[in-house]
Amino acid sequence: MISSSRVFLAKPLAGITLFVLCVTSFAGHAATDDELWVMLQKAAVAARALSYEGVFVCQTGQQAKAVQITHLFDGRNEFSRNVVLDGASREVLSQGSNLVIYNAKNEKIVIEKKRGQNMFPAMLPLNFDAIKENYTVHLSTHERVADRQAQILFLEPKDRLRYSYKFWIDDEYGLLLKSVRFNQRSEIIESIGFNRVSLLNSVALDWFTPRIDSKKNYVMADEPVILPDGKLSVTWEIKELPAGYRKVDQIVRMVPGKPYPVMHMIFSDGLASVSLFIEPTNKSGKTKVALASSGYTSFYAGVNNGYLVTAVGEVPEATVVQIANAVVIGK
Amino acid sequence: MSEQISALMDDEIAVEDAEHLIASIHTSRQASQTWHQYHLIGDAMRGDVALGAGFKQKLMQKIEQEPTVLAPSASKVVSGAKTEALKDKLPASWSIAASFAAVMVVGWLALQQQSQPNPSATLEVAKATTTSESIPNEYLMAHQSLAPSTSSYYIQSVNYSE
Repeated sequence: MISSSRVFLAKPLAGITLFVLCVTSFAGHAATDDELWVMLQKAAVAARALSYEGVFVCQTGQQAKAVQITHLFDGRNEFSRNVVLDGASREVLSQGSNLVIYNAKNEKIVIEKKRGQNMFPAMLPLNFDAIKENYTVHLSTHERVADRQAQILFLEPKDRLRYSYKFWIDDEYGLLLKSVRFNQRSEIIESIGFNRVSLLNSVALDWFTPRIDSKKNYVMADEPVILPDGKLSVTWEIKELPAGYRKVDQIVRMVPGKPYPVMHMIFSDGLASVSLFIEPTNKSGKTKVALASSGYTSFYAGVNNGYLVTAVGEVPEATVVQIANAVVIGK
Repeated sequence: MSEQISALMDDEIAVEDAEHLIASIHTSRQASQTWHQYHLIGDAMRGDVALGAGFKQKLMQKIEQEPTVLAPSASKVVSGAKTEALKDKLPASWSIAASFAAVMVVGWLALQQQSQPNPSATLEVAKATTTSESIPNEYLMAHQSLAPSTSSYYIQSVNYSE
């Protein structure tokens, strides 16, 4: 009687754990491509349906941060708390795709709300259709990660318009233990992997709360100002997008530092995202064609029929250039 | 105890089976606090426009206990009838799902406890864009706000590093 709700929640969790265990029990025999895709899909499910806690390290360019994660699936809802352990304090709490970030900045804590789908280790999407179109999968060796045995899988792009990935997947639980992203010169541009990880045995949620420092000021971060579509008097068409990229979102918004509304579109190939912005050109005439990249982010800006078209995303330079050039401005 | 109270609110325990629970809510201070907290979280879950009357009252009490705090400007209180109507539309799982709202409420209470609202604070965030990166910060920020990359959840984008 007393623990009725605990039993109620624990049952589906145990069921899903068992399910993941059964499906990922095949080892590195001559696996077919379909089996490898299933392994990746199970990793996407395991990251969401298992309850676990651990510490992982996220490294990009010059920065590396250790993060303590607690993730719980109670059979109905997914909760996670990510505490960044290095540098300025930062906590990311999420329920489903709702995210709130507590971010220390000088003497203040900035509270930021976001929607998120691709946090580690749930960085693979549940729907693999787009990924299968644009990448091939290869089986590699076994390796030990975070004191666990893992199967290595490579995800290679079919063209030069996206980066490649190396995934370490736990032999027993099917969980993604480590992910490394490479650029076209096979240099590591992003690495995220567990140092230690273990399954949670409790469905208690007492950990699901931010640490509040009463000495600090808390402020809400600016949320993007979204405007109705009619606020931007420009017609355009998107022609010949780079292969595999599809529009997944479109809004008219204010961008910090810009006095006028900007059209913002998001394109994705299933893993990588590119933002495309269309806005009136700056009257001061400072605008020129620019191509830049830093780490794994590429940026391209150019003037198109009186409008500034900008593309930015975690993709090779050729991709942002192609997406920006796909825009045809009308009258 | 709190699990049972949650279950009672979820209708997972029938009211007639919960006499001992209801009795303990009346007699135990902790249980009664839990009951009120769960309703508070539920109020918050129903959205900004539908905060229950009790929420404001309790918040005011809390603020009164703080020595140097200015009272926040009065916000519109929605009538109890409307709150009840909204409650009926909520899924049965809402009090479990209320945890995320609780996280927001904690942050919101922290916001309220500041001695003075600081309107310039959020502006400073946007202005603090000194960077040697060649990618214009405003576009990087706008991109990350709608399509965050995995590492951007953990490693602050340039706009926050001063």
